[in-house]
Amino acid sequence: MVVGDFATEVDVLVVGGGPGGYVAAIRAAQMGKKVTLVDKAELGGVCLNRGCIPSKALIHAADEVHNMKNSSHMGIEVDGVKINFTDMIKWKDGVVKKLTGGVSSLLKGNKVEVLQGEVYFSGENKVKIATEKDSQTYQFNHCIIATGSRPTEISGLKYDGKKIISSTEALSLSEIPEKLIVVGGGYIGLELGITYSKLGSEVTVLEGMDSILPGVDPSMVRMVKRNLKKLGVKAVTKAMVQSADTSGDGVTVTAEVKGEEKSYTADKVLVAVGRTPNTDELGLDQAGIEVDEHGFIPVDKQMRTKNDKIFAIGDIAGQPMLAHKASYEGKVAAEAIAGEPSEVDYRAMPYVIFSDPELAYTGMTEAEAKEAGYDVDVSRFSFAANGRALSLDAAEGFFQLVADKETKQILGAQIVGPGASSLISEVVLAIEMGANAEDVALTIHAHPTLPETFMEAAEGIMGHAIHMVNK
Amino acid sequence: MAFEFKLPDVGEGIHEGEIVSFHVKEGDAINEDDILAEVQTDKAVVEIPAPVTGTVKKLNASEGDVVEVGSVLAVFDTGDEDDDNGEEQAISEADKEQKTEAEKTKTEQPAAQTGEKPSGKQVLAMPSVRKKAREMGIDITQVSGTGKNGRVTLEDLNTFQEGGTEAVPETDQAPAADTAREEKAAAPSVPQGDEERIPLRGMRRTIARRMAQSKFTAPHVTVMDEVDAMELVEVRKWAKPMAEQREIKLTYLPFVIKALTAALREFPTLNASIDDEKEEIIIKKYYHMGIATATEDGLVVPVVRDVDRKSIFQLADEIRDVVKRTRDKKATVEDLKGSTFSITNIGSFGGQYFTPIINYPEVAIFGMGKMAERPVAIDGEVVVRPMMNISLSIDHRLIDGDVAARFLNRVKELLENPKLLMMEMN
Repeated sequence: MVVGDFATEVDVLVVGGGPGGYVAAIRAAQMGKKVTLVDKAELGGVCLNRGCIPSKALIHAADEVHNMKNSSHMGIEVDGVKINFTDMIKWKDGVVKKLTGGVSSLLKGNKVEVLQGEVYFSGENKVKIATEKDSQTYQFNHCIIATGSRPTEISGLKYDGKKIISSTEALSLSEIPEKLIVVGGGYIGLELGITYSKLGSEVTVLEGMDSILPGVDPSMVRMVKRNLKKLGVKAVTKAMVQSADTSGDGVTVTAEVKGEEKSYTADKVLVAVGRTPNTDELGLDQAGIEVDEHGFIPVDKQMRTKNDKIFAIGDIAGQPMLAHKASYEGKVAAEAIAGEPSEVDYRAMPYVIFSDPELAYTGMTEAEAKEAGYDVDVSRFSFAANGRALSLDAAEGFFQLVADKETKQILGAQIVGPGASSLISEVVLAIEMGANAEDVALTIHAHPTLPETFMEAAEGIMGHAIHMVNK
Repeated sequence: MAFEFKLPDVGEGIHEGEIVSFHVKEGDAINEDDILAEVQTDKAVVEIPAPVTGTVKKLNASEGDVVEVGSVLAVFDTGDEDDDNGEEQAISEADKEQKTEAEKTKTEQPAAQTGEKPSGKQVLAMPSVRKKAREMGIDITQVSGTGKNGRVTLEDLNTFQEGGTEAVPETDQAPAADTAREEKAAAPSVPQGDEERIPLRGMRRTIARRMAQSKFTAPHVTVMDEVDAMELVEVRKWAKPMAEQREIKLTYLPFVIKALTAALREFPTLNASIDDEKEEIIIKKYYHMGIATATEDGLVVPVVRDVDRKSIFQLADEIRDVVKRTRDKKATVEDLKGSTFSITNIGSFGGQYFTPIINYPEVAIFGMGKMAERPVAIDGEVVVRPMMNISLSIDHRLIDGDVAARFLNRVKELLENPKLLMMEMN
């Protein structure tokens, strides 16, 4: 590598190796571009290293523990379930390592050059990539920014990485905290709160809004609230957290709850109040790019920024901050760079929450569909009437389908229950294909499986479900 | 409270209108009687006022859409609270709070989630077809699908590109596909040079439809002649100062209308229409004259009523008035309907000979060419006279050539001898 002021020329520069960046890099390479990917840390981004994947590994492990302890009604009696938390974390790290290793070899297989360093824009088509040793200027024909987001910090509770932690540390603790306070009742806080509750922590969730999981359909949230109660997780709503005192053994969090000051004590407090886009330390103004008031980079339908050489995808390009949205946008940007007429053109975004029970939704709710001017049909099929759900001992929840009354076109679905996160994909496909309930009703779904609930709900829209009495 | 506003009948017997423009967008506040939209009917562009004061929650059509009278055009939020009963069962306090919270976040949501929460109905098509449309440079919203519920298929895209027209409705699918294939030879699918595609919308679409309807319904025959306008020129010159005193701009048009009215009285089948459905001829005993008028947006035909009962000055005044209103887009539906016969004056743009298209369902139209000095033979001598070419297109279903010729002769006679018009006074 040449050191000095000579700019190294690259064709497509991808900044960030998360699910947006590495996917964009591979697609651009597939389109015949010469691609260089740079990340300041490890490949896979937050998703693989500190987000989706490690959290799902721990959630699964916690579920196993929980099921072992709660299967006596099935005739399974387990004495003294012991958790070796160090090994659990090690196993989780192994999962992460397998996946990041996979990303690395995929990039290699697609001949993507991978660099490590911090990126600062130094011109309209130039960046400086700084490593511990040196700083090198690169000149690009096109650039895709995919720098993701980080946990939002709140002023009264600055992260110290020990007692006041973010989701990052929560996924790599050395021991299970006896008492854990979770600030923020959104999906990240709940997923981790439930996990530690199942692992034995006494968990209190402090949520500032009127309800946990704000923005999610209340009928779905109701089921989660019921299970939180069963698990012994205390959910305090309208709790405005003020400060935290870490001087003693543990940590004491002070919050104003419905006008009253209250304090909560625990070993650790996990702050999960949202995520902030990583756009503040890139020198974007050097490239002629501005961010909006939330720190997002405005883009067009092809994810192109104001600077037409530079694209921005994923968490930095706006809500919702979801890995699969980032990957989709990454492919669009890569194809746009290759001259394809690709653009962001999806009809349904899936949302999945690995709470207990699992939640998943896509498209419109009944209320949203009415708002959009549809005359709506809604059909709700209960997992209690599904053989596979019963045999999994997971018969709580429902599959709710929203369709246009006249054409029976599928507009959205809300799923609460076993495998919701997997079940949602078929609905997303149906919406993308413009399928109506009849198409789904006429599609054979294997028995006995959970996806039969989709078929039944669709039959319900048509007015002739077999396994429930039609309205 | 949500208030649903249905497209009202904006004029007698109109059952649909095309949205030319919305003056507001969703989310805008609007006061009662502010202009909500401009709607193009068969006759005119009509401004639709808002029925209530509130916020526009939903617009159920886009500009260019044809909306049926009685269908919900817009939904307003009038700001009054809905009664929030209908809680199905006893729910805890927390649940209630949660509900209001959800409502709150829901209103905040759209801004953040524009991508996946469509604000209205979308084109039905598979992702691969949508992608193909982009590759073909086709705006998929312009293609009407032949699939179930109007789903756009790959074939529809091909048909759209080959024919350059909208794909046809389901029922005519097979034959239309054939036509499209035949047309392919005539209309190459590959542009031979720089092209621009403009959707056929608004006034232009109405004109296109009405012209085609007339020309394909009524077999046209056009008879032409020329008028020696020497005396007419004299009369006008003589009357002009009088008109000016009354602040009236006197053109030849009122004289022509007078002559036509006189002739129409003698040849009633030219002031008529055919009721195609009942197979009856309607002879009209009133004389409403359509005046073909060029406007910025295209041809419009405002109407001067009861021309047989009005003086030349009155006619001149009324023509000027209604034409001006038409050009200023202020004409009402009433101004633009009910003509029994029409005049078109291409002469004002310099044309000499032309075969006008009948203003259907009328059965005849009179065309005026440019008046110009030309040599003519009179009593064996060549003299120079102000000459005007005239033409008459007739619906041959109702009017035969001899009647047309005799009508035109009579008009010619009246125009060449304007004194005769005096004999026609009633």
